[in-house]
This record gives sequence, structure tokens and C-alpha cells, in this order.
Amino acid sequence: MEEQAPKPRTQQHTSTVQLPNSVVSPMEVARLLREIEQIDDFFNQEALRQSGTPTNMPANSRLMESLVQNNQMNLLDATHRQALIQFLRETDAHAPVVHMSFSVDPPGKLTQQLAMWLRKNIDEHMLITIGLQPNIGAGCVLRTTNKIFDLSLREFFTEKRQIFIDRLHVALTEQEPGTAGPPQPEGVTA
Amino acid sequence: MSLTILLLVLVGIAAISGGIIFALLRGGSSPNAPHKKKKGKNVKGNAIEDIAEAAKDDVERVFNDDFREELRNRGRLHFEKIISENAMFLQQDLRLTTSELNEFMKDEITRTLKDEFKKYEESINDAKQLAIDSIQQTQNTIEQQRKALTQQLSEQLTTEKQHSLQRFEAHMADIVNHYVLEAVGEQIDMSEQLDFIIGQLERNKDAIIRDVQDGA
Repeated sequence: MEEQAPKPRTQQHTSTVQLPNSVVSPMEVARLLREIEQIDDFFNQEALRQSGTPTNMPANSRLMESLVQNNQMNLLDATHRQALIQFLRETDAHAPVVHMSFSVDPPGKLTQQLAMWLRKNIDEHMLITIGLQPNIGAGCVLRTTNKIFDLSLREFFTEKRQIFIDRLHVALTEQEPGTAGPPQPEGVTA
Repeated sequence: MSLTILLLVLVGIAAISGGIIFALLRGGSSPNAPHKKKKGKNVKGNAIEDIAEAAKDDVERVFNDDFREELRNRGRLHFEKIISENAMFLQQDLRLTTSELNEFMKDEITRTLKDEFKKYEESINDAKQLAIDSIQQTQNTIEQQRKALTQQLSEQLTTEKQHSLQRFEAHMADIVNHYVLEAVGEQIDMSEQLDFIIGQLERNKDAIIRDVQDGA
């Protein structure tokens, strides 16, 4: 067998299979790949078995069901199984992966929506790994292969620092003539 | 000078007075002298003695005791008059001399006192000017030191203020972030952050695409 050169992770997929938004991380892709390979092995073994032998088909996971339904495929069809295996192998090997850090563990719905946006705007096979970084407050930190995009509230405040400074100067300038101490919040009386 | 002149005048007056008194005394005793000499000569010759005796008698008759007494009285009166006049002149001269002496002493004392007072005043003025200069110099030094201290304090205050402001501005994002997290950190749901995250992703979309496509 001829050894193939490693393909870049941004190489275009040849298949028309699309990843469902519920599949987010490379670990899920690997899990799907193992699952579909087990299913394919099962059907291959089933073809070798004698008829009348009772067998139990492996149960499909929710992600597998989602993958099959979204792509309107049939796991009983060997061609479809091979297409899925090929797609998942290519995805596992070459799909672009970004790492996103949040202050707390994000819910699955949030990661799915982020995956949907990334696949719609960046790359259709984009995968996400999730990490924790408690000190960022709100927002997230996106890390690609070469860069780190700080999308946190802390960075947002840093960018808006001049606005804070200007507002602070305005507040201090307005406060200086009266010198009556810090401004009282609205509705608070002495 | 005037004192010397005054002494010469006094000596002159005394000499004149002495001469007059000597002349009067000699004049009073002269009538007896020729008489004694004639007595001596009477021993040597008769004629001469007779003549001399006759002259003597005539003299005795003319210059009798009353005439002599009268001459003495006149001389006494004249002498007293001269003495009185000279005494008056002497008194006038003494008064004039005393007056001049008084004026001289007064002028001398006044001049000396004026000189001393002038020297004293100059010394006082010099000491006063010296004290004023010293005080002025001290005030200038104090003023310069005060200005230097004021400027140094102002510069240090401005520098410290700038440092504090720079530190505050440099860490303002962290301060605000910390404050926001402390205030509402637990109330921020992750699902509510989706719009913010999507917005941030939209802002960095091109950079992410470029990095994903070129940075494989």
C-alpha cells in the first residue's frame, strides 16, 4: 500500500456529508468513527454468519442518529456506511480545530450554536475543544493553531478603557466645583 | 589764637598800670631828694649854701605841707581815677574775653559733639544697613528655598499623581472586570453570553478565517 502524505487540516472534503451541530469536538468525531466502524464490522460479520443465528445489532448513539438523519443515510446500506467512515476519518484527521475557553463549563446548547456559527462563517467542518479559564469573567478565549483571540469581557473592557477614562474624567470634572463627595446613586437620599 | 591775644592784652594792661604807679610814686618822693642833696652841698660852700638855703626856704614856702597834701590828694584821686578806668577796661576786657571764651567753648563743644554724633550716627547707620542687608539676604535665601521646595513638592506631587493615574488607567479594565464579576458574576448565564460571543466572533471573523486557512 502506498503511503499518503499528511493532508492539511483545511483540505476540502470530497464527500457531501455534513456534521450535525450536536457534534462539536474531535472526541465526538472519534467516538462516531469508532461507532460506525463497529456497525460496519457488525454487518460484515453478519454477512459471514449462517442464517438463523440470532444476533444483536449495536445500539446507535444519539449523535449517530443525528448524523444519519441529517444526511439522510441508511446504515444498512454499505455504501452509506463507507461514505460515513470515509467522511469521519477525513474529519478526524483534517478538520480545523479551535479551542474555546470559558469561565465555567458551557451548556451543550451554547457550544452547538457556536459550532453552527463557526461552520457557517469559518469552515463547514470546524470542530471545537472546550476549556476552562475562570479569570476571564464573561465571554471566551478562542485559540487557533497560531493565534489567540481574546473575546472575553476583560479584553472588551481593556479595549474600551479610553471610554472609561474619559467618563471618569468627566465625572471628576463635574464633581470638582461642588466638592460634595462621590455622586449619590439615584433614589438615594441622605 | 584769640586766647594768646587776650593774654598779651592783659600783660600790656598790667605793664602800663605798673609804669603809671611807679611814675606816680617817684613823682611823690622827688621834692625831698633835692633838699637832701642841697644839705650835703651846704657843707662845701656858704654861698651856694645860702642860695640853696634861700631856694630851700622858697621851696618850703611854696611846697608846704598843705600844698603837698593837696598834691597827694590830687595824685591819689588821679591814681584812683586811672585805676578805676583801667579796672573798668579790664572788667570790659574780662567780660569780652569771658564771652569769647564762652562762645569759643560753646562752638568747640558743639562742633565736637556734632562730630561725635555724626560718627555715632554713621556707625548706627552702617550697623543698621548691615543688619538690613543681612536680613534681606536671609529673606532672599529663605524665599529661594521656599520656592525650590514648593517646586520640588509640586513636581513630586505631579509625578506621583501621574504614576497613580497611569497605574489606575492601566489596570482599569481589570478593576472594572473584577467589579462586574463581583457584582453580577453569578447572575450572568452562559447562554446569555452567546450574543456577546457571537458579536466578538463577528468582529474577528476575517482574522479567524485567515488564520484557519493559512495557518494549517
